[in-house]
Amino acid sequence: MLDKIMKTQLFAWIDKRTDAGAIIKSQLTEYPAPKNLNYMWNFGSLALLVLVLQILTGIFLVMYYKPSAEATFGGFSVAFDSVERIMRDVNFGWLIRYMHAVGASMFFVVVYMHIGRGLYYGSFKAPRELLWIIGVVILLIMQGSAFFGYLLPWGQMSFWGAVVITNLFGAIPVLGEYIGQVLVGGFAVGDPTLNRFFSLHYLFPLLLAAIVGGHIHALHVVHSSNPEGIDLHKPEETIPFHPYYTIKDAFGVAFFLLFYCYIVFFNPQMGGYFIEVDNYVPANNLQTPAHIAPVWYLTPWYTILRSFESKLLGVAAMGASLGILFVLPFLCRSAVRSARYRPVYQIMVIMFFIDVIVLGYCGHSSPTATLKVVGQIATAYYFLFFVSLPFLPKFEKTKPVPEGI
Amino acid sequence: MKMTKFLMAMIAASVMGFSSQAVASGGGAALEHANIDVTDQEQLRRGLTVFTDVCMGCHSAKYLTYGGLMRYPELGLTREAVDELRGDKSLMDGMKSDLSVEDAVVSYGKAPPDLSLVVPGRRGGADYVYSLLIGYEADPEGKVPDGNWNKVFPGNRIAMPDPLSWLDHDADETAELTQQAEDVSAFLAFIADPHQNTRRAIGCWVMGFLLLLTLVLWRLKVEVWKDIKH
Repeated sequence: MLDKIMKTQLFAWIDKRTDAGAIIKSQLTEYPAPKNLNYMWNFGSLALLVLVLQILTGIFLVMYYKPSAEATFGGFSVAFDSVERIMRDVNFGWLIRYMHAVGASMFFVVVYMHIGRGLYYGSFKAPRELLWIIGVVILLIMQGSAFFGYLLPWGQMSFWGAVVITNLFGAIPVLGEYIGQVLVGGFAVGDPTLNRFFSLHYLFPLLLAAIVGGHIHALHVVHSSNPEGIDLHKPEETIPFHPYYTIKDAFGVAFFLLFYCYIVFFNPQMGGYFIEVDNYVPANNLQTPAHIAPVWYLTPWYTILRSFESKLLGVAAMGASLGILFVLPFLCRSAVRSARYRPVYQIMVIMFFIDVIVLGYCGHSSPTATLKVVGQIATAYYFLFFVSLPFLPKFEKTKPVPEGI
Repeated sequence: MKMTKFLMAMIAASVMGFSSQAVASGGGAALEHANIDVTDQEQLRRGLTVFTDVCMGCHSAKYLTYGGLMRYPELGLTREAVDELRGDKSLMDGMKSDLSVEDAVVSYGKAPPDLSLVVPGRRGGADYVYSLLIGYEADPEGKVPDGNWNKVFPGNRIAMPDPLSWLDHDADETAELTQQAEDVSAFLAFIADPHQNTRRAIGCWVMGFLLLLTLVLWRLKVEVWKDIKH
């Protein structure tokens, strides 16, 4: 079909002025992709899909949402009322809002799988270091974006989550208090906070869109890695992206939509994981909820924060846990990329995945003495994993890597 | 295949993390299961009656308008029935209690929460509301006055005095009272998300379409890839 379009007069007219034909060739129909990519390589295109869905649904939500903490009847606020108006009175408002709320969680599901694939198959290693680093920037902006967005309904968890996180900045020496006040727009979380978080929640996804463009550009310069983690030299080892991976990604998209739509239509709160129970209660600065926890996708880092008695150490560790991702490509010195041929790394990285989920569980649960110790051990392993990577090649006996695929 | 191993590890890890989170909080006795059906017009209308006769004495449900009682087919009240309920209030008005917040604070010590979103806003949802309504007992330690001790309420001490007169009811009233508690729980579950039945109905079509689409794209993928050895 693409061929037919490219033969039309209209396309010739556009091509003459934009070189569209050459772009299509170099990026799609002649873009070489390894022929052995497995389904773990589908999560990148899925992340792009969810980003687009989030931006589109977000634009429509903003048409009805009102960022104001001004009190209304019954202890609610203008913001909370406007969300309920979307849910009840706007035609298909419930659909748009559930798509957006579920989409936020699904974005992280997909991106965490994408990152996990990169870790397992060593996709972050040379020459793809910068590709990985741009990806980490995307992760941080996503987390910021999600955090700002969660404040907008102005429910109990919105409010108290923002109180806990913005208080963290107070732990930073000298400038901390000032940064906290600038972020909150005053001395306590309130109406100005809601307004600036709304502004940032609109800004960050636009940054995201631009940086995702950079991520894809960087990918198209160095090309995809593959499950064997080897460099490909022979032309018969690669296949053109279109039609092979466009159809495979399309199949992946349909498969993903099955899960996404099931949640949107049948279980949008996802048992309090995607939309928390406390967020159906309007924000009340005089009543602290029994248990404050961030949404599931931020809980691993919340556990790292809570594992330290000193607030400053906790904040520093949380920062370091994300910051260390930037230097991962330089910490990992093994010449072999894929965990398939690295027996020790394979065990370590699978344990790392389990470790992050344990961290998430600890952060989501009410704190108990046992969970605190579990969280501390998990935090220790989180850092141990990264710190031990430079020393791994000294004693790890890697398996022979295949010549080609 | 190695990928299967990888996937298995991911899945095993997620199951470990995602199991059993819901634990009853302080004071909370185990919840009874509420037998509710948010598509059952009879039950929802009975629940509405309990709501207007009992709950609305103190509580509001401001996001449910009088007009909504007619507009949502699940309730489907006639204009006459709604006019009788609303008195001189507008169809656009939310269902608000006549008791002022100030008076409520004087009488009960706190403002009664709005019930529009009480079902999704409490751990346990409709089961919690149902269990709370039939959870009034005499304080085993004899400290809290009768009607303010509830076995499922966090901390047990509740400001709302036994709305259905569950305490000391006769054995032959049990069926009627549990029915009322169930009906009003169903009603509250419905009004928290009044498009939920539409949502599920559309959802079935969406899932059907997506299943078909997935199948077609899968076969297409296999067809396109049939000559690639990998």
